[in-house]
Amino acid sequence: MQSPVSTLPESQGAPPAPRPAVVEQRSLVKLKGRKVLIIDDDRINIRILASILQNEGFVITEGDSGERALELYEQIKPDLVLLDVVLPGIDGFATCREIRARYGDNAAPVIFITAKTESDDIVEGLASGGVDYLPKPFRRKESLARIRTHLQNKILNEQQKALVDQLKAANQAKNKLLGMAAHDLRNPLASIRGLAEFLCDGTVGQLTPDQHDLANTIFETSQSMLTLLNELLDVATIEAGELKVHKEPHNLSELVTKAVYLNNINAARKNTKIIFSPPDEAPIVRLDPAKIRQVMDNLLSNAVKYSPPGSTVNVRISGYHPAFKVAVQDQGPGIPENERHQLFKDFMTLSSKPTGGEKATGLGLAICRKIVEAHRGAITATNLPQGGCEFSIMLPA
Amino acid sequence: MKYEGKILLVDDEAHVRKFIGLILKQLGATTLFEAGNGRDAVEVFKRENPNLVLLDVNMPIQDGIATLREIRQLSTDCVVVMLTSLANRQTVEEALSLGADNYIRKDTPKDEILASLRQTIADCFSVD
Repeated sequence: MQSPVSTLPESQGAPPAPRPAVVEQRSLVKLKGRKVLIIDDDRINIRILASILQNEGFVITEGDSGERALELYEQIKPDLVLLDVVLPGIDGFATCREIRARYGDNAAPVIFITAKTESDDIVEGLASGGVDYLPKPFRRKESLARIRTHLQNKILNEQQKALVDQLKAANQAKNKLLGMAAHDLRNPLASIRGLAEFLCDGTVGQLTPDQHDLANTIFETSQSMLTLLNELLDVATIEAGELKVHKEPHNLSELVTKAVYLNNINAARKNTKIIFSPPDEAPIVRLDPAKIRQVMDNLLSNAVKYSPPGSTVNVRISGYHPAFKVAVQDQGPGIPENERHQLFKDFMTLSSKPTGGEKATGLGLAICRKIVEAHRGAITATNLPQGGCEFSIMLPA
Repeated sequence: MKYEGKILLVDDEAHVRKFIGLILKQLGATTLFEAGNGRDAVEVFKRENPNLVLLDVNMPIQDGIATLREIRQLSTDCVVVMLTSLANRQTVEEALSLGADNYIRKDTPKDEILASLRQTIADCFSVD
């Protein structure tokens, strides 16, 4: 049953001049010293494989049965397993399944050693959790290449997992810092805004027009900084997984009416009107009123922001089953097709600019999306054939 | 409109005291006491026995919740409005369960704070 092996030195038989451009693949990770478990009831096979691998600096452990394989695996925690299919006791496939069952995704890759090249055998091996197979007789270069590839994959996978964990921790730390900074900045800013407002409204004495202009600039600037801070805080809260929606049955129409009423005050400064006629039947939806109100405020203020002065913004509630839809139609420039994918992402401001010098933080719609999704709903934006854009939220009834 | 009652304003941040103080003045408050932490607040409370206390939550030395407990032991009919920096449900709920009458978020726009305080004063006292 001895298998012939090609262990010829590489130079032998090769033409003296130009060597083929097969350069040995440089390893991305250090493979020397990695532990390989070889299981075969044929001592000669083991000896051949061991000699190939030891030359490369691998550390070899060997066994002759499936049961022994499981024992040795537990002892040495190999980086890779070479496993014969036909073994006394439990066979290679069963051994492989057991390794996968015990060690899950962290299990070392298993490569089957097989004399047969029947595809059934190969398929069964792969189905039992093996990653590859080494056909007997062994060819040194091919065997090494396969083993190296799978070891590298395994190690790179591990490194990637560790990196992802690190990044997660770093992101959490960032959100925490962001949250703390925003908290600590918010109170002083709120006071600055309030005190500037006192200066502006003449409570503490009349100002000259120039002084009034300065005080008003302080007021408006601190106002927009507060908005940004609040949105940053929202993002930090949401990313930390702390967005909690407290759903309760609520009259959606009433909520929208309130939001429209208040946003119309701002809209009036641009001579823009928001029109909403509530549906006859009150739509009762399970939602978090404060959060959905935040979404509506955002959609309405955006509609006003991006529509030219003197526009009309239309708001409609429709669809009763299985979801309610609130649609806000503006008369703005619409969403450029190539920027659509950025619309609901953090810090993404599009090329369209507010038409009245308003500020955009690029966070509002991202927050809206997260709130709506926390309600198991959806938010969409569609350009209208007559111009303008329709933003809709869908909320499950 | 004049409000003759005694008001105690407690916050560790001077800018907040200045801002809220101006709002109170606009509401016609004439007698305003200030404290920068909970312990001082209790001192002033014992001495002056105010009708209305505006009480910050996060403060050094003694926080607003502990201060609220002490105040409620001294007086049950004084009106206490908590000043919060976030709509922190838990803290607000705790304060309300301990006998606070209302709460105001400090980052609320001035006119809303004004309206809310005017309402509180009107609800709790007869004002000329």
